[in-house]
Amino acid sequence: MATQDDDNVARIPDPDVEPTASELAHARRFAELVDKTLSGRTPPAMSADDRALLEVATVIRAAHGSLELAPSQQRAVVEDALRQAISTPASAGRGQVTSIAEGRSRLRRRAPWIVAGTSTLVAAAAIALLWLRVPGPGDAARGNPVARGAEVPQEWISRSADALVGPIARDHAGDAGARIDAIFADRLDGFRTRRLARGGKR
Amino acid sequence: MKKYVIPVFGGLPFVLAVALAACIACTGACLISCSGERDVRPPPTTRIADPSDIIDQELMIALAQAKNFHHKSKVYMADGNLTAATTSVRQILSLHFPKAAPEADDVRNDARALLAKLLMSQGQLDEATRTIEEGLAASQRESFFVANLYTVQGELHEARAVGFDATGEPGKAAAIDERRAAIASYDRSIQINERLQKTLLEER
Repeated sequence: MATQDDDNVARIPDPDVEPTASELAHARRFAELVDKTLSGRTPPAMSADDRALLEVATVIRAAHGSLELAPSQQRAVVEDALRQAISTPASAGRGQVTSIAEGRSRLRRRAPWIVAGTSTLVAAAAIALLWLRVPGPGDAARGNPVARGAEVPQEWISRSADALVGPIARDHAGDAGARIDAIFADRLDGFRTRRLARGGKR
Repeated sequence: MKKYVIPVFGGLPFVLAVALAACIACTGACLISCSGERDVRPPPTTRIADPSDIIDQELMIALAQAKNFHHKSKVYMADGNLTAATTSVRQILSLHFPKAAPEADDVRNDARALLAKLLMSQGQLDEATRTIEEGLAASQRESFFVANLYTVQGELHEARAVGFDATGEPGKAAAIDERRAAIASYDRSIQINERLQKTLLEER
């Protein structure tokens, strides 16, 4: 049974055969049609075969770089391509390679948040460090010298009597009375100094 | 047709957020670096104190009472009334000192040393030993007063050794043990004194 393809093959002339007059006339007419189209004078009406051939001719010419698109058309083409890339659903893209345009777009969307988030974290860490920092000697209590963390003279502070008494010799092991006198006198001195410094207040 | 807006990198809200965060970070870093410089100073003659560290009236009252009990005990001892002297010293142990006052440990340990010596002089070696052991067990840190307790403990061992010697041949072995124990106690006392003296010298 003969098919349509068989008919087309049958209609294709042998390339070595001399063109007929009708073929030459048809070629001349088509050349004029292409020239008019390229010069922007496309005829309003033409046969379907001619229109198809004309589109093919235009594409071939553009593919050879002989045809430059207007800037507005270039932008439209690029935006169309990007739009298609961006609008592709994520699920549809599973297992597919992410397009460069989509990757850049995602990066552009997220970059400000990444920068802002990182900066905020750094700032929060710095503030937390400052807040939790152990108060240094320079942070002496201002005002009430007995406030928590206040910097006060050593003699105001309750402390071991080791430095005052020193090593206790065996001969003086039972001289606790003399030692308590020394301790009491020393601490009383600190206590009085502190009270005087505070204007007699306890 | 769906309208697409390509986000502008660093749109106004984002730029403001980033700038604010950066400012806060810079300020924090500056403050920390400044505070770090402030901390580099030689050890001061003053130190940071908690309100409970300050010498207050409560501590002075406790010290004054301890002082008075010691004086009272001294008078009794001069009178030869060792029992009353012992009672007076024992009262020091029940004095109320401010919580965590280092002087409390020192005063009590010193009172225990004197009490043990008083008991020893009355022949109450067991109670004297118990007094010393309680003091050593209650001590939170090493001090010259703790070293003194070990010294008195050594004296107690020596007194026991003398007692065993008095029993003749049967007590010789026990006397030797007591003398060894005395030497061990004196060694502990010496070691503590050396460590503390070294620490005090380093602090100066």
